Amino acid sequence: MGKVKEKIGSLCCHTYLIILSVVALFPLVWVILSSVKGSGELTSNPTSFLPKEFTFINYKNVIDNLGFTVNIGNSLIIALITTVIAITVSSMAAYGIVRFFPRFGNIMSRVLVTTYMFPPILLAIPYSLVMAKLGLTNTRVGLIIVYLSFSVPYAVWMLVGFFKTVPIGIEEAARVDGANKLVTFVRIVLPLVAPGIVATAIYTFINAWNEFLYSLILINSTDLMTVSVALKSLQGAEILDWGSMMAASTIVVIPSVIFFTFIQRYIAGGMTEGSVK
Amino acid sequence: MKDKIKSNYSRWLFVLPALIIVGALLIYPIFSSTYFSLTTKHLTKPSYKFVWFKNYISILSDVGFYKAFAISILWTICSLLGQIVIGFSAALALHRVKYFKGVYRILLIIPWAFPSIVIALAWKWILNGVSGFIPNLLVNMGLASGLPQFLSDGSLVFGTLIFINIWFGAPMIMVNVLSALQTIPTDQYEAAQIDGASKLQQFRHITLPHIKVVVGLLVVLRTIWVFNNFDLIYLITGGGPANATTTVPIYAYNMGWGTKLLGKSSAVTMLLLIFLLIVCTLYFKVIDRWEKEDK
Repeated sequence: MGKVKEKIGSLCCHTYLIILSVVALFPLVWVILSSVKGSGELTSNPTSFLPKEFTFINYKNVIDNLGFTVNIGNSLIIALITTVIAITVSSMAAYGIVRFFPRFGNIMSRVLVTTYMFPPILLAIPYSLVMAKLGLTNTRVGLIIVYLSFSVPYAVWMLVGFFKTVPIGIEEAARVDGANKLVTFVRIVLPLVAPGIVATAIYTFINAWNEFLYSLILINSTDLMTVSVALKSLQGAEILDWGSMMAASTIVVIPSVIFFTFIQRYIAGGMTEGSVK
Repeated sequence: MKDKIKSNYSRWLFVLPALIIVGALLIYPIFSSTYFSLTTKHLTKPSYKFVWFKNYISILSDVGFYKAFAISILWTICSLLGQIVIGFSAALALHRVKYFKGVYRILLIIPWAFPSIVIALAWKWILNGVSGFIPNLLVNMGLASGLPQFLSDGSLVFGTLIFINIWFGAPMIMVNVLSALQTIPTDQYEAAQIDGASKLQQFRHITLPHIKVVVGLLVVLRTIWVFNNFDLIYLITGGGPANATTTVPIYAYNMGWGTKLLGKSSAVTMLLLIFLLIVCTLYFKVIDRWEKEDK
């Protein structure tokens, strides 16, 4: 009796998870499938799945005519530099909090939650005014600085959780050997939390790559636009070309999805662990 | 002695860069916004006047603001409830199954990786009122007589947006709840089973107490995120049709970049922040009490 009940329960779980998986996955599949269909097929046969005629014309259009490679380059550079700066600063801070300011740690995580509370739309106004004053509106540098505002607190928060797992004894042994704080940090501690740092770095990169609002407000020339805003501007084009939009969407979303599946084990809990324990 | 002083200085070097960034990029803007919210600052005109609370008074007497506020609250509560129910139940199901766990997990978190612009474009295309997959499917199956206009019909648009937000946000809840579930020692369940506790009792007395702090914190974070969310709504509906989806962030954006009244827009965003501060203080009171109960 108990066994049958167990089996039915597990069957229900599988059914539920399969339904959810289909809903979760469908937009990605649909975007990719639509990107390889011709414009005629997209409008004449809206419910058919596989393309009758497989075509790369949408991708060609996005890259050749719409100059999307420039936007990809912009987003890559901006997200990469943001990540490098944010991770350097944040891993030092996270280590500092865990090792040298243990009592301060709890307050610090509350402070970070508080910064998370600041509405981006509130920050956008001072950012646009300050960047205009500094002559950094419409520059990559300006956008990178602004991106640090959400990358650093988040990265510190995630990294604190990882640094807490390093046993203090190892560091003390190194300290006895005469290594100073910085050397201990770089040579002993960093390698131990390397997986956590890589995961945090990838997460930071994805968030910068995906960002929209600040990029919308600070960048206005086409050749400096990031992918998000460039995609948005495609929508404003005279003819709504869904095939090309889906091709561009595929190019933007695929790196995010791939990276994300790599780090999913690490970000599980990273978000809440840093502050709870 | 000298060494001790030196070490006291050097420990600050680790946290200083982050403190400077947080100070310059998060603390300063709050002061700046507070100041500008008391002025007639304009997006393009250089001169402005100090007007004390005139902006606040004019916003608090605008019906549009209250409407946006009500929509924000409704948007937050509905999205959050949906995300928690779906995310939580998915985590429980995932925790229980033995096979394909990893596969489900990867498939289920995919929405989380989506940039908001792609979420917007993907769903706009799927729900497109002319060639969209779902409207046409519903008509082909005989479930709708005409093509439903999910994103321009005033009675459907809000529900559609909530659905999309649940689709996007549930994975984050699921992953975090799942990792909290995995920290519960299994011997507690075994002991409960021997004592003859039912599944429901086990859930109430073992599972819930173990994960409620994590879930509580998640709810705080998601509340903030959903309440502040600008991208999704802006990119999918732009606040329309007829302001049916204009939340406070959209209202503030339209005021700051549409009518270019940055001072007034700052005042709106300050009200938004004050509201969030109050809500989160209340939340933290509850979580603190839970943490104390645990000890």
